[in-house]
Amino acid sequence: MITRRQFLANAAVGTATLLVWPKLTFAATGSDTRFLFVLLRGGLDGLESVPPYGDPGYQAIRGALALSPSAARPAHRLDNVFALHPSFDYAAQLYAQGQFMPVVAAAPPYWGRSHFQAQNCVENGTSKPDGAQTGWLNRCIACMPGVDGLACAAVMPLTMRGPAKVETWSPPLPTEVNPILLQRLQPLYAADARLAAPFARAIAQQTDSPVPESGTGMMAKGGSGQKKQGGLPVMMDAAGGFMGKSDGTRVAFVEDDGWDTHANEAAIVTRKIAELDAGLKAFRQSIGPMWQRTVLIVATEFGRTAHINGTGGTDHGTGGSMFLAGGALRGGHVTGRWPGIGSGELYQNRDVHATTDFRSVFKGVLATHLGVSALALESRVFPGSAGAAPMENLVDTMRAEPDRTRA
Amino acid sequence: MDASGNDITAAVNRFGLGAKPGELARVRDPRAWLDAQVARGPDGGDVFTGLPSSLDYLREEAQLALTRRAIKQRDRRAFLFGRMQAASDGGSANTAVLKQALQPYRKQERTKLLAEAAARYRVATITDMPFVERLVHFWSNHFAVSVDKAPARLLAAPLEREAIRPHVTGRFADMLLAVETHPAMLLYLDNVRSVGPDSPLGRRIAMRLARKGDQDEGKAGGLNENLGREAMELHTVGVDGGYTQADVTEFSRALTGWSIPFPRDFANGGQPQSAFVFRANAHEPGPRRVMGRTFPAGGFEQGRAILEFLARQPATARHLSLQLAQHFVSDDPPPSLVERMARSYLRHDTDLAAVYHTLIASPEAWDAGARKFKTPQDFVISSLRAGQIDLGNRPQPVLALLSNLGEPMFDPRSPAGFTDNSANWIDADGLWKRVQAAEALSARVAQTNAQPLAFALDILGPLLDEDTAQAIRRAESARQAHATLFACPAFQWRV
Repeated sequence: MITRRQFLANAAVGTATLLVWPKLTFAATGSDTRFLFVLLRGGLDGLESVPPYGDPGYQAIRGALALSPSAARPAHRLDNVFALHPSFDYAAQLYAQGQFMPVVAAAPPYWGRSHFQAQNCVENGTSKPDGAQTGWLNRCIACMPGVDGLACAAVMPLTMRGPAKVETWSPPLPTEVNPILLQRLQPLYAADARLAAPFARAIAQQTDSPVPESGTGMMAKGGSGQKKQGGLPVMMDAAGGFMGKSDGTRVAFVEDDGWDTHANEAAIVTRKIAELDAGLKAFRQSIGPMWQRTVLIVATEFGRTAHINGTGGTDHGTGGSMFLAGGALRGGHVTGRWPGIGSGELYQNRDVHATTDFRSVFKGVLATHLGVSALALESRVFPGSAGAAPMENLVDTMRAEPDRTRA
Repeated sequence: MDASGNDITAAVNRFGLGAKPGELARVRDPRAWLDAQVARGPDGGDVFTGLPSSLDYLREEAQLALTRRAIKQRDRRAFLFGRMQAASDGGSANTAVLKQALQPYRKQERTKLLAEAAARYRVATITDMPFVERLVHFWSNHFAVSVDKAPARLLAAPLEREAIRPHVTGRFADMLLAVETHPAMLLYLDNVRSVGPDSPLGRRIAMRLARKGDQDEGKAGGLNENLGREAMELHTVGVDGGYTQADVTEFSRALTGWSIPFPRDFANGGQPQSAFVFRANAHEPGPRRVMGRTFPAGGFEQGRAILEFLARQPATARHLSLQLAQHFVSDDPPPSLVERMARSYLRHDTDLAAVYHTLIASPEAWDAGARKFKTPQDFVISSLRAGQIDLGNRPQPVLALLSNLGEPMFDPRSPAGFTDNSANWIDADGLWKRVQAAEALSARVAQTNAQPLAFALDILGPLLDEDTAQAIRRAESARQAHATLFACPAFQWRV
């Protein structure tokens, strides 16, 4: 077993060294890039986050929830059809720099409307809620020898469960631990078959990698005073801190919830998107120069009904929006085929149709940005996804890999 | 029946909430001990007396809403008469005044939340019926209401007290009805303003909209499917229970009108008498067809009949039995056990006491391989019990611990509740935080003259292996001995 540090040291010697490790084909394209997956649980409303204000059916179907660049609180205009929710101030700046990109009418391959089944599919990477007991991002990491993952969560999410080594991180408790207590506990845990490995990792984590300076510190002082512990800005700030170091975490996961807007949606979405936007900004700042080699994807389990329900909200739907961001992204435009929301265009006469399978986006990024082989993507990471071809031209590989341009 | 030490620790740790000092020694026949708890029913009555009812909470919330409205109206009038500067947000309420006026309410709300938490963990710490108390927590998580959704915040604890606790050893069908008519669930899953499109209210709204040419559906009444869907997917038949989107919609129509008293009902001396209100004028008329059965029109009775029907479905029996077996035996319980429990459930008309008895009487439940990893809440409660830690009326440290360990009280962020799969709770960060928590908890154990080793043996019984005993014996202080006990691997399992 090689450590990440050893691997990087070897990789630096040059391609000749890599030839003796035939499995490491990824190194040819994804040498020192970063990838973050942000999962929004609850079902982000696509028509609210990326309002298709230029679609003739939009105003009628959305009524009071309709957003537009010409409204009193203007949405950020992206093109003649789409805008971004007014709370996406920072994302709009990134978009102008080509570092942000919405994907419209996207969904996982599962089109039922259960949160938990849909989330299972988004996390296990198959079209069935019980299609795999491990997560696609863990299996992706398993295809990248020497690479570890990080889940910024108190409990390991399904996305990150599996054979590859992944750690969890959440804001620490203030309590000090008596080192002698640790010494006494170590042999006891070593004898517990199920707990030995995680306990050993816990000890290693505490001694090797304390909380990065940029993680939590900045947010703890944060201005608004209502940052809940573990909120998206805090977690994305911490993720950036771990990933920004030169030998930092390459693949990480952050999650958030509270997106299930059945009632009083306008106010909730305004607040939640502001949190996501603050999270993007915090991540961009804490990851530092490594941003240039970074792509992040924001996804949710499903979109919401096109019509408003009786309580000023929307119910579980199908097609929704995804977002990509990062210095290595070829962004600055809206991606995905728009199916329209006029009469006869809705799925089952209620939801935005899904024209993009999530997995196409994931595969497009993993292939070019992390250098995961097509074979590994089809057979291990997203088994049974042959119908969802990798989306192309998502990543600017030149920007992501200064080393390669020199070679 | 032979009461082996292992069966006693299983009863106390896996079925119960972890040993209190002396508890292992008191249990003679573990099966009879569990059955007797079920026969006696839930504990804790006197600890909970004095806490407000849901109706009290709704009344206070209404007063808050009415106060807020009054201030806004006063400001608007002041503005109209030119006594106030137009604010940038449209000249509406003076937010500073509003904030100040609402401050006492916010403070009260926090005080009440803490009182609820103090009572809940006090009962868990001292109860002599820990099996029934564990069942209360189990069903509370089955019918999860998450306080991250503001309107449900004050009502999650009352849901457990008022709808779960009284039925925990009774019929599931009765518990189900109590939960789905409880204001916490009706608010959490957005049913309180769900209006049947063809109900008198729905038609009036439609006409008004048509007259105004208004597209503003958001302010109008309409159907909301959230409660109907989760009641089927999570509460009863389960996601593979054989229902369709049409069943969800039909069931949701039947549930229209199931609501709570609104602030306006409390205004002008209004005195609502119940925290549940059936609003006939919002109820969708006509028969409903759910999972192949037609339910005639009948107002509230229609929804009640569908719930009773769902409770009695074989899919519900299997779904609940599997969850119970997963909770009490292992993540992957023997199908024979689940099947036997499900049969018992159906034969006894959803009677939970019968299901528990079947579980207790089944050899699979006492298998040597049966074990669960303690969830953070299990870990904290078993530490409180072992150390006889009295929080008094200050539960804040425990609430902070639960949040940091990943299982904040009534806050699973999802109607599916917290995961009950051991694999999801075992990881490095979580173990590290348990060691930290063990240090923090050990500081709260009242120091006695008891020998640390005797104490550990009293709590772990035959689970105290030689190496752990050695570590505790060598502890530099009583406090470190307690910390070692709480942090040791043997204490992390419900074996």
